Amino acid sequence: MPKNTLAASRTRRLVLQENVAAYLFLLPFLIFFVGFVLYPMFMCLYTSFFDATMGRKDIFVGFANYRELTADPVFWVALKNTMVIVIVSVPITCAFSLWVATIISRMPVAATSAFRCIFYLPVVTGSVAVTMVWKWMFNNYYGIFNYLGKSTGLIEKSINWLGDPKYALGCIILILLTTSVGQPIVLYVSALDNVDKTLVEAAEVDGATPFQAFWRVKWQQMMPTTLYILVITTINSFQCFALIQLLTSGGPKNSTMTIMYYIYYNAFKLYRYGYGNAMGVILAIIIAILSAIQFRLGQEK
Amino acid sequence: MNKTKSKVYYIAGFIIVAILALSFLFPLYWIISGSFKLKAEIIAKTPVWVPTRWVLDNYQNLLSKRSAPLFQIGSLVGPTIPAAFRWLINTVFMSAVSMLLTCLTASMAGYALAKKRFYGRALLFSLIVAAMALPKQVILIPLLREMSSLHLYDHIWATIIPIVGWPFGVFLIKQFAEGIPTEMVEACRIDGASEWRTFTDVMFPMIKPGVGACAIFTFINSWNDYFMQLIMLSSTQNQTISLGIATMQGENSTDFGLIMAGSALASVPIIIVFIIFQKYFTKGITMGAVKG
Amino acid sequence: MKKLLALMLALIMVFALVGPTAFADDNVTISLWTYPIGKWTDEATVKGFIDAFNEVHPEITVKVEYLDYTNGDDKINTAIEGGQAPDIVMEGPERLIANWGAKGLMLDLADLVPAGTYEGVAGSCTSADGKVYELPVCMTAHCMAINKDVFEEADALQYIDLENHTWTTENFFKAVQAVYDAGYEYVGTVFCGGQGGDQGTRALVTNLCGGTYANPEHTEYTYASEENAKALSLLCAQDGISFDPAIVASDEIQNFVNGTFQMAFCWNATQEVNNADALGFDVFPMAFPAPEGVPSLQGGIWGFGVFDNKDEARANAAKEFIKFLTEDDGIYAQVVEATNFQPVRDVAGVYEGNELMAEYALMNPMMGDYYQITKGWTTARTEWWNMLQRVGESDGTAETILAELTQAQDAANAAAAAE
Repeated sequence: MPKNTLAASRTRRLVLQENVAAYLFLLPFLIFFVGFVLYPMFMCLYTSFFDATMGRKDIFVGFANYRELTADPVFWVALKNTMVIVIVSVPITCAFSLWVATIISRMPVAATSAFRCIFYLPVVTGSVAVTMVWKWMFNNYYGIFNYLGKSTGLIEKSINWLGDPKYALGCIILILLTTSVGQPIVLYVSALDNVDKTLVEAAEVDGATPFQAFWRVKWQQMMPTTLYILVITTINSFQCFALIQLLTSGGPKNSTMTIMYYIYYNAFKLYRYGYGNAMGVILAIIIAILSAIQFRLGQEK
Repeated sequence: MNKTKSKVYYIAGFIIVAILALSFLFPLYWIISGSFKLKAEIIAKTPVWVPTRWVLDNYQNLLSKRSAPLFQIGSLVGPTIPAAFRWLINTVFMSAVSMLLTCLTASMAGYALAKKRFYGRALLFSLIVAAMALPKQVILIPLLREMSSLHLYDHIWATIIPIVGWPFGVFLIKQFAEGIPTEMVEACRIDGASEWRTFTDVMFPMIKPGVGACAIFTFINSWNDYFMQLIMLSSTQNQTISLGIATMQGENSTDFGLIMAGSALASVPIIIVFIIFQKYFTKGITMGAVKG
Repeated sequence: MKKLLALMLALIMVFALVGPTAFADDNVTISLWTYPIGKWTDEATVKGFIDAFNEVHPEITVKVEYLDYTNGDDKINTAIEGGQAPDIVMEGPERLIANWGAKGLMLDLADLVPAGTYEGVAGSCTSADGKVYELPVCMTAHCMAINKDVFEEADALQYIDLENHTWTTENFFKAVQAVYDAGYEYVGTVFCGGQGGDQGTRALVTNLCGGTYANPEHTEYTYASEENAKALSLLCAQDGISFDPAIVASDEIQNFVNGTFQMAFCWNATQEVNNADALGFDVFPMAFPAPEGVPSLQGGIWGFGVFDNKDEARANAAKEFIKFLTEDDGIYAQVVEATNFQPVRDVAGVYEGNELMAEYALMNPMMGDYYQITKGWTTARTEWWNMLQRVGESDGTAETILAELTQAQDAANAAAAAE
């Protein structure tokens, strides 16, 4: 046998070995991932072509669910609200936590860690507990927001924060913000610590203002952190189900309806599983596109 | 000139941050003080900032309202305890097991994705990325049906399994493991170590900080996760503390004293754990991310 | 790492043991899920009944779960999809017959409902195709309530027929105005955050100007009428009446009990009994206002339904349990008293000498049609509170409101036709 074929077959064996090893390492995760994420995802796509409900066999309806979706005004409102939540809360979370981090990272170590800890508290307090206390604070009749607003003269009359379409979504986003800035602040503080000081000093020697030095040097160096924060904040914003379900149930007038809650609503209040799944598919596609964009950005940097 | 300006900015910033910090602390204070308030003070139009009398009524109410067995193994039923304690036990169990399983599966998979070349790698990674931000509501109906056919409905495992399947941990550890020089792994392999040994003896110690971050993430996430529990658990004895509070608020929607007592019970333990391990927490979180 | 693995394995093994284990012996375990019906939310009361039952049937274990009206339906629905529907549910025909019964998930209980016994309510507990999906236990006429102390202070009692507990529409608005003028900002609140307790808002709206909700044949919804539009626009315009999409009936009740609201639209005897400790004022139950003062009150019927879990042993055990609770007059009387509602069949000694129940019994003759078993009920309900949210935000003119009513009614009727 010629030598190079032998080598080729050895390489092939090595490649095969590498593949087998890789998949063995992946196996435990794949069982869970394929079984309880990908398979349900596939079933979601599959069922979206059916008129599925409780207590009877599913009926194939083709694209009827999707056609109905395009004509469902609530779906469009829900889509808009979902996007508003993400588009408003992600940049604000990033900007806010960056700003807080720049301030607290200049403090003495003990103060830095105390503040970091405080801003992280709402995350560990738990979404349900946080939601409940905000519900009480927003209460129309004896919540502290109305009291503070009225006693400081900021508002004239009690505002039914969660019952008024003008304010409800804003309230939800506010609560979401308090529970999502904790981690970015921690990340930014340490990123600021890790910035190459010599570069900053060099920029300052060149006559850059602290502000310019910040943007030209620190911000550039913190780019990976920022991207990572973008990813986790986006994930977080899409997961805000408890807030909606426990505070407003999508109301008033669907002003806080999100796709996530509308799926649940269709499934367990209207028994429309196929329709809910069709919405799930659309949402999954949107999220996949968003993730792709974020990662493309990440790769470019 | 420039210096004073920046000093003013810094001091103003400090004051604003301090005010913000207070407002972040306030809800927690409101939970704890509210849980000790009398009903009349809870609903007072002018807020009672500090309870005039710290009473335990709400906690008594919380603990006496519902009961559940401490454990149940087949037909062997443990002593009856207040359901809230059982909910805490369930929550700790769920979070701990999710954390352990996720760390184990994710560190193996993250290592393979970072250091191994295999067919389907790119595809798998893009699936992981795409699934990361996926809200669980998308797969709610199929997952419920699946758990039902596996006879896992109303079983704590039904909430653990989807968390372990969530690929964020893998992503985290993969990013981290990529920063580890490949030569180290290869040197070990040349020495004749088996694949498994290479992983446990060389790779794992090096990705430990990443695993730590993954552990913290998973623990907090599953502690806070409410949706899966809402869908998958129904009986009082199998509920978690978040779900328990949510159920209580459905029954006594404006009895905020009771709800705050439940909330305090749910959040104070984890806050204490957090404050004790604060250093490790922040270190873990940043280690996992910054290296990525 | 090894320690970690060992720990994990140990944990998993422990939990595998704790997992659902099949019962090998003759014992049957059944589950009873109850909505908050009087004292049927109280563990000790329910346990008392189960203990009495276990003296006769020690082989049957009854596990109880307590539901609420906010999330209870979702919980049962997920359980059904999860393959673990309860065996017995304690609720009313709108769920047992019009919802789960219509979906073919319930067992026919005809053999437990002897002919003639439950004459008054048997019709409401029977599906269109003649299946009895509910073994009725108790009933009530839902009413509203006012804070009598506050009304007295505002000199508003003059608008009320104190003897019959009724008022005309005109007097109702005068009374609300009087209480409002006396300095009470929130006199009454049209809660519309969800479906919980919506019988109150339905009864209020349909009675004010003599409208209806559904046709007498229970085939379609009729609430998009000039009368109901007028009623809603009157409510929109009235000082002291607000629409609150952030609360449901349970919040309303608690806000009434704690003195924030001066009337409650979702009320009945059991509310007064359950809140007795917290009530710091004199509650006066009232019929809903109507043009001539004679309203058609919304009835409530509660009883037991049995889910068809394809398990004969469990089905029989479930039937045995509800038979035990309803067959013997003595036990039945206790079961009814635990609900704080009226019995649905003749039985001696219920609420003897109970003045409170006698007061509430005044409402019974005003009970109207039990339309909650009209087809498409779940959709009609969701449409109703969504409609109220839109009305609360609208300009309040009768035309706008009629359009909103029509939109809701069309959706409900479409759902009824599809069923």
